[in-house]
Amino acid sequence: MAFVLVATMIFFAIVAIFYVSIKSSSIRENVSDLREDEIIEVVRKISGSPEFLWNFEDCNSCIDFDKVLMLKERDSYKNYWGGISLLQISRVYPRFDTEECELKTYPECNRLTLVEEENIQAHEAFVSLCWYDGVLEQNKCELGKVIMGFEAVG
Amino acid sequence: MMKDKKGFEFGFNWIFVIIVGAVILFTAIYATTRLVETDRTVSDTFVAAELNTLLHPIETNLEDAKYAKIGFNQETRLYNECVPAGNFGKQQISTSSKIGVGDEWGRKSVRKISFNKFIFSREFEEGKELNVIVKPFEMPYKIGDLTILYSGNYCFVDPVSDIEDEINDLSFNGQKDIGIEVVDDIEDCGVGKEVVCFDIFGCDVNVNTNENDQVVSKGGEDLYYEGNLIYGAIFSEPEIYECQVKRLMKRAGELAHLYAAKTEYLAGKGCGSNLQEDLRTFATLTDTESSADLAGLGVYAEDLDDDNEFISTCKAF
Repeated sequence: MAFVLVATMIFFAIVAIFYVSIKSSSIRENVSDLREDEIIEVVRKISGSPEFLWNFEDCNSCIDFDKVLMLKERDSYKNYWGGISLLQISRVYPRFDTEECELKTYPECNRLTLVEEENIQAHEAFVSLCWYDGVLEQNKCELGKVIMGFEAVG
Repeated sequence: MMKDKKGFEFGFNWIFVIIVGAVILFTAIYATTRLVETDRTVSDTFVAAELNTLLHPIETNLEDAKYAKIGFNQETRLYNECVPAGNFGKQQISTSSKIGVGDEWGRKSVRKISFNKFIFSREFEEGKELNVIVKPFEMPYKIGDLTILYSGNYCFVDPVSDIEDEINDLSFNGQKDIGIEVVDDIEDCGVGKEVVCFDIFGCDVNVNTNENDQVVSKGGEDLYYEGNLIYGAIFSEPEIYECQVKRLMKRAGELAHLYAAKTEYLAGKGCGSNLQEDLRTFATLTDTESSADLAGLGVYAEDLDDDNEFISTCKAF
């Protein structure tokens, strides 16, 4: 009788382990889907965020490139992008020799990185990058994209 | 005389079986209960995360207002927590669901945290559907979107024309039920509705729209507002309102520093506007104690807006 009971306990323990492993893998999958859904929605709406918003024309998908450059320099925003593992503004056309934008190289650069961590899955949305062109002495917009990523689960 | 006593032998085996059997039974019941509870919390946590995701598409870009109705599969309670500490404070939402097993309302789910959302509601809203109105808040530049969440029914008595037009627009002139009824007389409000009166007193919520004293009074507390914050003050719990105002002002201050840095940068490119100092002063003023400081800040913001408008090229915002 004692052996039957021990065997029953072992059986239930195996069933429990099996259940927990299936459940946790399904939770991981759901978390990954949720993060992906959120990033897709955020990347679509990022141009409406005050830190990115281009205030000077009624333009739904315009980003103030000058303002984003200043944003990169502000320490207070370092932990602001919780849950976002990659946040990059990239120029699509024209392209320049310098890759990463810094105060010295801006605006003749291709990419401005606000957050960059490892193990990410990214999504992007096309936008207009707008800034004040000191040579033309007027505002100028070019084609760019926002790239956002989230940390992959598992 | 000896009698043949037939008895049941209660040996070690039986004692062992009973004890171990009881342990197995107890463990199984305990584990099942915990699993059900954990499952419920996990599912509520997913609901909170999904709700947070659903609020993104209704943020504004160029729009003046947006409305959405969010439905749940089952009766759900949404908890709104606002934390004012930190550079931007934080918005926390969690949910709990109502099911037939166990407590009437389950435990609160894990909180979903965001730094750029400002949700105005009561401490918790419950039901199978939630109404959401999103309005941008500008002072003098866009600071964020105000997300007004409500599950109850409201009756607006004789609102100012701007608000009446807004409600009519959002409800397609009353064709869509957005949980807000607009009437001319307090007597016309349906039973069980929260009555919001504009420039009349003695209702559940009293709104004073006088330009020099913009205040919403409810539950014995005065909530001061500027611009679209009027909606936040009407629909939210006083503590949540004050906390969100503090967070909005923190973001306004950070944005002022951002605009000041941009103005300085543009000045270096030969397109100065001399707004940096005013913006930095504005940033220091945003360190407010309560919504009562909003009026003074509003005046400064208007001046800043006028100065910015006066600049022909290289506006700061």
